[in-house]
Amino acid sequence: MTRVTIPIGPQHPLLKEPLSFMLTAEGERVVDSVLRLGYVHRGIERLAEERSWVQNVHLLERVCGICSHIHTTTYCQGVEALLELEVPPRAQMIRTLMCELERIHSHLLWLGVLAENVGFTTIFMYSWRDREMVLDIMEDLSGGRIAHAVNIIGGVRIDPDAEQLDSIRRGLDKLQQQVDTLLDVVQHERSLRVRTQHVGRTTKELVRRHCVVGPVARAVGIDEDIRRDAPYAAYDRLSFKVITESGGDVWATALVRVRETSESLSLCHQILDQLDPGDVATRAGRRVPAGEVVSRAEAPRGEVIYYIRSAGTDKPARLKIRTPTLPALSLLGEQLRDIKLADVPVVLSGVDLCIACADR
Amino acid sequence: MDTQAILDALNDACPDHTFDAQAIPIDETVIEVPVICLKRVVACLGSGFSISHLSTITGQDTGTELELLYHFWSKGGLTLRVVLPYDDARIDSLTAVIPGADFYERELAEMLGVRLEGHPRSGLTEAEGFEHFLLPEDWRPGRPPLRKKQPPKENES
Amino acid sequence: MLNRLVQWARRRSPWVLHYNSGGCNGCDIEILDLLTPRYDVERLGILKEASPRHADILLCTGPVTRQSRDRLRRIYEQMPAPKWVVAVGTCATSGGVFRGSYNMLGGIDQVIPVDLYIPGCPPRPEVIIEGLARLLATIDVPEDKPPRDAAEPPAEQLKSVAADEGEASDDGD
Repeated sequence: MTRVTIPIGPQHPLLKEPLSFMLTAEGERVVDSVLRLGYVHRGIERLAEERSWVQNVHLLERVCGICSHIHTTTYCQGVEALLELEVPPRAQMIRTLMCELERIHSHLLWLGVLAENVGFTTIFMYSWRDREMVLDIMEDLSGGRIAHAVNIIGGVRIDPDAEQLDSIRRGLDKLQQQVDTLLDVVQHERSLRVRTQHVGRTTKELVRRHCVVGPVARAVGIDEDIRRDAPYAAYDRLSFKVITESGGDVWATALVRVRETSESLSLCHQILDQLDPGDVATRAGRRVPAGEVVSRAEAPRGEVIYYIRSAGTDKPARLKIRTPTLPALSLLGEQLRDIKLADVPVVLSGVDLCIACADR
Repeated sequence: MDTQAILDALNDACPDHTFDAQAIPIDETVIEVPVICLKRVVACLGSGFSISHLSTITGQDTGTELELLYHFWSKGGLTLRVVLPYDDARIDSLTAVIPGADFYERELAEMLGVRLEGHPRSGLTEAEGFEHFLLPEDWRPGRPPLRKKQPPKENES
Repeated sequence: MLNRLVQWARRRSPWVLHYNSGGCNGCDIEILDLLTPRYDVERLGILKEASPRHADILLCTGPVTRQSRDRLRRIYEQMPAPKWVVAVGTCATSGGVFRGSYNMLGGIDQVIPVDLYIPGCPPRPEVIIEGLARLLATIDVPEDKPPRDAAEPPAEQLKSVAADEGEASDDGD
């Protein structure tokens, strides 16, 4: 059969972000794909070497607009380890609270994008409407819907009062009902299942070979989560389940993400109950002693890694960012093989790409 | 992760080098590995300890030489440090053992100008050794942006 | 007569194309948010388009990277005239925090002409709507229809759109 090459992107209705694909199709079947990144490559790693430690918090918040808080968390905890700073428990708790709120926001956003890509606009509207509630909570806490600027080196910038905490609790309760509804839809709604079950299937072996992390790995039954395996911030004081599924298809990743959202809501409640009064930051010096650090944290999409090296000056000597989308993209090449052309948008949304993260 | 057992196994696998472990924050073990031993060490970690999850590869220019850090993860962080001289920045590709290393290695090639031997997409273009992945197509060859000797901003295109 | 109809339609129902030329997704998800129940710009007649050939307004987010430059230019060229470009967010306006990077050209206006800047990191959806309203207010309208106040509340605007629809069909006849 004749082969057709279909270019997708960088500007394409099914992509929310610029990334370029060359799909090779034989009739209705996709046989190969070539990926090109770099449309949003901003050279952040190099820029970070020219900015001071404090300025970098603001720069790194803008690696990605969806998981902005996790980037500053990973960076700040790395720098704090170099400075040998003791971060106050209250600050750790607030950091963790923001991490979990961000996970809820990211997962609901993702569910909407998946629903839109399978043509289920109702759920897109529902989940984005519910996402507004999390954004309201985050705005109430930090003053920003998307960029929160909560982390500083040595702690956090915000100190919520009792009234704010109460309003967060009310918001979370309302959200819990909505998430239960969404979970019910994902589990039982036939049209969504037909479009996502057995689509974009991966195996444990493939996931391991491509070193994939996060919900995609947990959807094939790999029980790994940095929050539990190497607790950072306040996770050692909280209890939660690591959600796994065994299907490995897009439906399984959807189940993992929606259940994780529920789990995050419970984490938020635990944090609000355990939030003791105290300081929210310790003072940090402008120079960071020479040394290197590898900092890991669990972003909504999987493990984020920062390697930071200081030469003892007021700027980092090297700052390396690895985001979870990069291994997911590596796996995507395998997933986009021998599938129907019409399934491409579903497979693409299944891995939850964040090109801004991958390009840096 | 049993660091001593790993060191013993590595010493057996590469008898002409003595391996030593160093701890850096946050709970990361660093082992220095000579360039020629890298493939053997990675094979040994994979077969003997099931450490084959390569989180990423950091490449950096320390000002005197190039340094590659292979960050592995197996319920704990393990980093292999490989030092390359400026004038002979070549290293064996790991893609045959760990397919997930593909993108990280391409990044090394683009950002630091490291030549990766045996990489499936290596040698597609002559100037850089790779087709561009993150950098723009019109990027001038021979100017990897993460080498320290580069001016931080390239005004001319 | 036809011209007036086209003008009216352009002002009352602008079709918008969104392109991210190097941003962090922050502005992009706020733009996507415009379509969802809380903001729902479709009720104001603003339609998000997928093809440059159907679009009146180009919403640009992010600074321009070297790799995106040609693509952005091509999208602009593919849009039919008259066309307007809105730079959404601080990065699109000036390059923002990414200024000085080796892969960065700066704001959108380094590559294509910009008609309106909406600063903010990221700007709130309300601000983006207001920006679009201000832009639409500057679009020429037939003499018997003076430009409306840009700060008109959405509910009012809905009513006036409904009223105008009746007039339009008269115009068309």
